[in-house]
Amino acid sequence: MLTYDPDDTLAHRLDPRSKLAVQFGFAATALAHTSPRALVALTAVAATILLSARVPLLETLSAYRFALLFLSLAPVLAALTFGSPWLDLADGLASARASYRVLLVLLVSAAYVRSTTVRDSRAAIQRTIPGKPGQLLGIGVALVFRFLPVLQADLRTISDAMAARLGDQRSAVDRASTLGLLGLSRAFDRADRLALAMQARCFAWNPTLPALSLSRLDYPALAAAVVLALSALL
Amino acid sequence: MATNRETVDLVDGDVVRQFARAAVLAALVGASIFVTIPYPFSPAPITLQVLFVFLAGLVLGPVWGAVSMLLYLTAGAAGLPVFSGMEAGFGPLVGNTAGYLWSYPLAAALIGAVVHRGTDLRNPADVPLPIVVAALVAATILIYAMGTAYAAWLQALEPWEAIAGYALPFVPAELVKMIAAIAIVESGRLEPVGS
Repeated sequence: MLTYDPDDTLAHRLDPRSKLAVQFGFAATALAHTSPRALVALTAVAATILLSARVPLLETLSAYRFALLFLSLAPVLAALTFGSPWLDLADGLASARASYRVLLVLLVSAAYVRSTTVRDSRAAIQRTIPGKPGQLLGIGVALVFRFLPVLQADLRTISDAMAARLGDQRSAVDRASTLGLLGLSRAFDRADRLALAMQARCFAWNPTLPALSLSRLDYPALAAAVVLALSALL
Repeated sequence: MATNRETVDLVDGDVVRQFARAAVLAALVGASIFVTIPYPFSPAPITLQVLFVFLAGLVLGPVWGAVSMLLYLTAGAAGLPVFSGMEAGFGPLVGNTAGYLWSYPLAAALIGAVVHRGTDLRNPADVPLPIVVAALVAATILIYAMGTAYAAWLQALEPWEAIAGYALPFVPAELVKMIAAIAIVESGRLEPVGS
């Protein structure tokens, strides 16, 4: 599973905003190019980014195994044709090149996930997106982070309880609706208590934001992000 | 650390309740990827995720339902393992399943707009059943249209190739989720805030 991993790499020391900018720039240019030469250049940039965050490649690839499955299925689907000659290799290759750049984008985003705490991402969101939407998104991310394990445990409790009562032998519709309804009503009970607690603690539109500061390292990273984004227009 | 010295601008009670529900539902959509239904035709696990997207529109309405799904996408981009297959990061938001992910806020907004006919929320059990069914069918079509169209563009596939790879294997499971959502609405136990 992909998560933050404490370390002291170059990527870990960068401000989350410059790392986000690099990711956006890389994605923009990767989505704009599929020529073999561009793919070589993109691979080199992605490798540099992965090294700068010391991303374990095999572990990351296994974390993206379902995406990999679809990425490798697409060229096969593209190559298959009805009727002679059954296999259209040119189509398959075009799709393979297009799918490969998606893999590079996924790997670059893995470097961000490995080197950035959710707390830092939240601070970046609240400082970059102006006004109330930024506040809501930032606090919302923090709340999702807090409630994800709790609700996972809720859903597990419900499905264990269903299994203990032979609920796992009922129809799929029955199971899905029981799980959906119970999961939702438990979650909303929690939400209503949370709302009360937030109001009791003066939940406001203008809280003190978590600290973030750009360092000297960040300027080259931001410049690289701009270059990457502009190369999408080439 | 800088301190804000202006007066505290409190968030209204109604907004706090809706926001808390939206955030918790976003977490629930993320948590639902761990609950899988055994299903033979799909290479990827089938989860209840879309059921909770339906419920977001049905209970939270067009505005907060969409906000909830945007929170889910933002949390995933920030590095929480909430995307299908426990994936995380900004990559999946532009990757091969990005069309599906970005369709969730629109689908929730569409269901909310059709079922609640505006931003004043009403109990979905009071809405005539054909309208609820139409909303769910329209949302499912929207989700699959965006999902397959984006994958087709991104991976240089013909439309029918994208449909064969990204849509057909999942349609039966989608019907299960749609019927489950209707059963939940008919149970009359979904109560929007303020009703």
